[in-house]
Amino acid sequence: MVANPIDMTVLEKDDIQGLLLRGHGQLSSASYLLYAFTNPAKARHFLQVLVPKVTTAAEKPEDTAIQIALTYDGMAYLNLPDPVMQSFCREFKEGMTAAHRQFILGDTGENAPKNWNWGEKSPHFMLMVFGKSPEALQLALAEVNALTSSHGITALHVLPTGMLHNRKEHFGFRDDISRPVIRELLKNPENAQEETFPAGEFIMGYKNLYEEYASCPTVPAAMDKKGDLPPHPDDSNLKDLGKNGTYLVFRQMEQKVHAFWQYMKAQSKDNQSAIALASKMVGRWPDGSPLTLCPARPTPSLSEANDFGFWQDDKAGLKCPIGSHIRRTNPRDHLVTETSQKDSTEMAAKHRMIRKGRPYGPPFVPDLNPEKMITRKEDNQERGLHFICMVTDIRRQFEFVQNNWVNFHKFGGLEHDADPIIGNHYHNESRKTDEFSLPQYPVRRKLDQLPNFTLIKGGAYFFFPGIKALQYMADHD
Amino acid sequence: MSTIHKGLTVTVTLDEEKISYVNGLLMEYRKDLKIYQEKFSTSLRGTFFLSWLTLPAQVYAEKEKLPARILLMSSYVGSQSSHLRELASFLGPQLKQVFGQSREYPEKELDESGLVDFLKAKSIPNTFYSGFKFISTEDVNREKSLKAEVWQYGQGLDGAGKRTSPREIKEKIETFVRNQPQLAWAAKKIPYGLSNKIQMLWPLALFGLIMLASLISLILCLFLDLLILKILAFIFPIFILVMGFLFLLLRLNENIPHSPSPELSDEKVREIVALETNPVINEMTVIAPLKKGWIRRIFLAITLKLVGLVAYFAYIPTVHTARWLQMDRGKRLVFIANFDNLSEAYAHDFVDSERRAMNMAVIFSHAFGFPATRWLIHKQYNHRSNYMKGVRAHQKVTQFWYAFQHELSVENLKRNRTFREGLNKKMNDAEIREWLLTL
Ligand code: HEM
Repeated sequence: MVANPIDMTVLEKDDIQGLLLRGHGQLSSASYLLYAFTNPAKARHFLQVLVPKVTTAAEKPEDTAIQIALTYDGMAYLNLPDPVMQSFCREFKEGMTAAHRQFILGDTGENAPKNWNWGEKSPHFMLMVFGKSPEALQLALAEVNALTSSHGITALHVLPTGMLHNRKEHFGFRDDISRPVIRELLKNPENAQEETFPAGEFIMGYKNLYEEYASCPTVPAAMDKKGDLPPHPDDSNLKDLGKNGTYLVFRQMEQKVHAFWQYMKAQSKDNQSAIALASKMVGRWPDGSPLTLCPARPTPSLSEANDFGFWQDDKAGLKCPIGSHIRRTNPRDHLVTETSQKDSTEMAAKHRMIRKGRPYGPPFVPDLNPEKMITRKEDNQERGLHFICMVTDIRRQFEFVQNNWVNFHKFGGLEHDADPIIGNHYHNESRKTDEFSLPQYPVRRKLDQLPNFTLIKGGAYFFFPGIKALQYMADHD
Repeated sequence: MSTIHKGLTVTVTLDEEKISYVNGLLMEYRKDLKIYQEKFSTSLRGTFFLSWLTLPAQVYAEKEKLPARILLMSSYVGSQSSHLRELASFLGPQLKQVFGQSREYPEKELDESGLVDFLKAKSIPNTFYSGFKFISTEDVNREKSLKAEVWQYGQGLDGAGKRTSPREIKEKIETFVRNQPQLAWAAKKIPYGLSNKIQMLWPLALFGLIMLASLISLILCLFLDLLILKILAFIFPIFILVMGFLFLLLRLNENIPHSPSPELSDEKVREIVALETNPVINEMTVIAPLKKGWIRRIFLAITLKLVGLVAYFAYIPTVHTARWLQMDRGKRLVFIANFDNLSEAYAHDFVDSERRAMNMAVIFSHAFGFPATRWLIHKQYNHRSNYMKGVRAHQKVTQFWYAFQHELSVENLKRNRTFREGLNKKMNDAEIREWLLTL
């Protein structure tokens, strides 16, 4: 049998930044640092010094790791030639806060960039520093500090992170269960139990689900004087600046944990039904077990289960509501507007993302037990999720999900519902998005006037380059 | 009488130097719409959508200039003549002002019936699709409030509801509807049900009958020597032969190297998407010259006729209404759709599944800049990116766009109708449970 050429592709791990293929889960302390360059020549020198320190996917760091991502403004500041800058995709060039992107992302009202802590004015770049312990992180940060300050780089914001008990997020639900599997990373992709994805969905320079090379930034061949870059797969006049890189979407999302559980409590007769209601909104129980497989009560043995669909078992959403967070962000094999399971599956697959976010801020209660959270008083502490996802096509993957599935109040035949967990909930003369509809017998239940349980506090689109691309940026003059 | 949805397309040529003036007029009317939406919807009682735009000159087959045009495209319910009268009486001054810029507009002053005749004379056929078939403008609002009132009533059923059988629940709902004077209409049968179907399906039935008769005649010819059988027997083989021959010619044409459309500038895309800010429904107009070769024009014309025949069975997710047509002796393809949400999301619907990509290729592969295919439906290299580029490259700004309602998605409209259809219909318990989910 002739092997599928996609499956034979070998990923160039030593040119890929580590975070793209790993979560650095063993490095439990991390900080994301946002910076602005102040001098282009110094900025390039900074990159030259930094390149060898950047953690690649070929390494398995045990102590510390460092990654870098740049915004469009940051790369423009490095004076990259115009044809190079123009070759980035439109949404990246415009940036997350451009008026039309705000509209697409639903960043309006409370969530408008003017209310953010950072991001309305784009930073130039972000360093993501990881350490196996707070001490290891501090040491790495000190080194980074010395390096940035010696290159006249201004630190804009420090975004610390903190892993929570049992890999939960702040509302108390197990997170990071469902992840798309990259086919090229498997030894025997043909034996894979789960659906797999070609690398090009998440890493530039490889073929994607359409069997095309993902669109990527390029450099006219003549401008790559040192020959840092690989050739472009579709055009011999170009070099591939995207190869082994990707786009990184960053959204700092504050979570209103007290308000979240108070809302559930107010809508329920007791704590157990409050937890069941919150689980209906997420689509999984707090321990991670999916409602589709265990609708009546959580089942610890299923807490990592991810092999399920909705078409056969729960088309109407009686177990896991159509508007729940996991069903919106990944409808799997059932899109209400499609007429077959096959079409639904093919369509949904085109809009996946690799999530790499980490929580920030202190937990509302240390073990994140919902029963305790329901009874605890507001502590007025800020906490939330540094949501990060990696995609080769911002518009098709992240923005599509955020716009068409998360915030579109007509998703799946619904009427006034945005995503209950992360949607922007409001009611004005043209739109009402603050309902949550629970299909049940005899008549569906509709919750109204959902407040915003999450608030955007900052964000930007970054380019997460491969090592050679980083080298090119450092070298070019 | 019927409640079938139809599309009217009126077009005239326009001198290029007048484009910006006409655009200005249309944009002014667009502003009026914001203020007078209610007046529009009460006066245009049978009209769902109106797209009115200018189309710049385009080049066909690298050399022939296709003229600039004004296009008025409406989606309506009911008879064409009453729709034309409705347009002429409510939008008379605007229609005269805009179409008056064309050399094709008569010199003499037109009265209302003159305007109707003019619009009729300048209208061209289109292949039309509706995603919420047979629902009239009046039904849209009535069915929405029917469902809302019953849902409200249903809240009272909730407590004891879990123990009440589906049949009892349905009876209670039906009694409730019957007892509400303002919902009296819902207790009656939906009008034109059968005649709608017959009217939509008879051309297909006729086509099928002719083909079947021809096939049977072909067999009978072996046993009987009748002239009528001989004539009939020819039809099916000739149809197959002609189609086969056209396919071969098309395949040869497909070997002409693919020329991609020049990518639309970021500026232009921004101009288009800036108009796409309606909360639920938006509009997209794509107009492209065809790829060169007469076979493309013929093939597309036949395809559009065949698609028209099966329109009753067609399904395009999230689309309220759509149409395809050829203009300028078949050298231009026009496609417009009124769809849910934004074009960035909508355009994905075309290429994200293999089957959909094939369906789309049947029509769009004939248009310049769209992906190259093999045997009409098989993809060649970079199908998806060329498709997306093709759509954007040929997307036009629709200066004036009117929608009867801005609130309900096509899925909402269909569910509201399903709920109404279920009232007073005999169902078993499982069916009732499913029906209740539409509430
Ligand atoms: C504070 C904000 C958020 C919270 C608390 C949150 C919470 C969760 C939880 C508890 C899960 C289930 C665990 C899992 O399946 O891995 C989940 C899954 C997921 N979330 Fe979020 N999320 C947030 C923001 C976002 C955003 C902004 C997006 C993208 C637009 C997103 C996309 C996803 C996806 C794609 C999944 C996996 C769904 C699946 O494959 O079943 N989330 N999220």
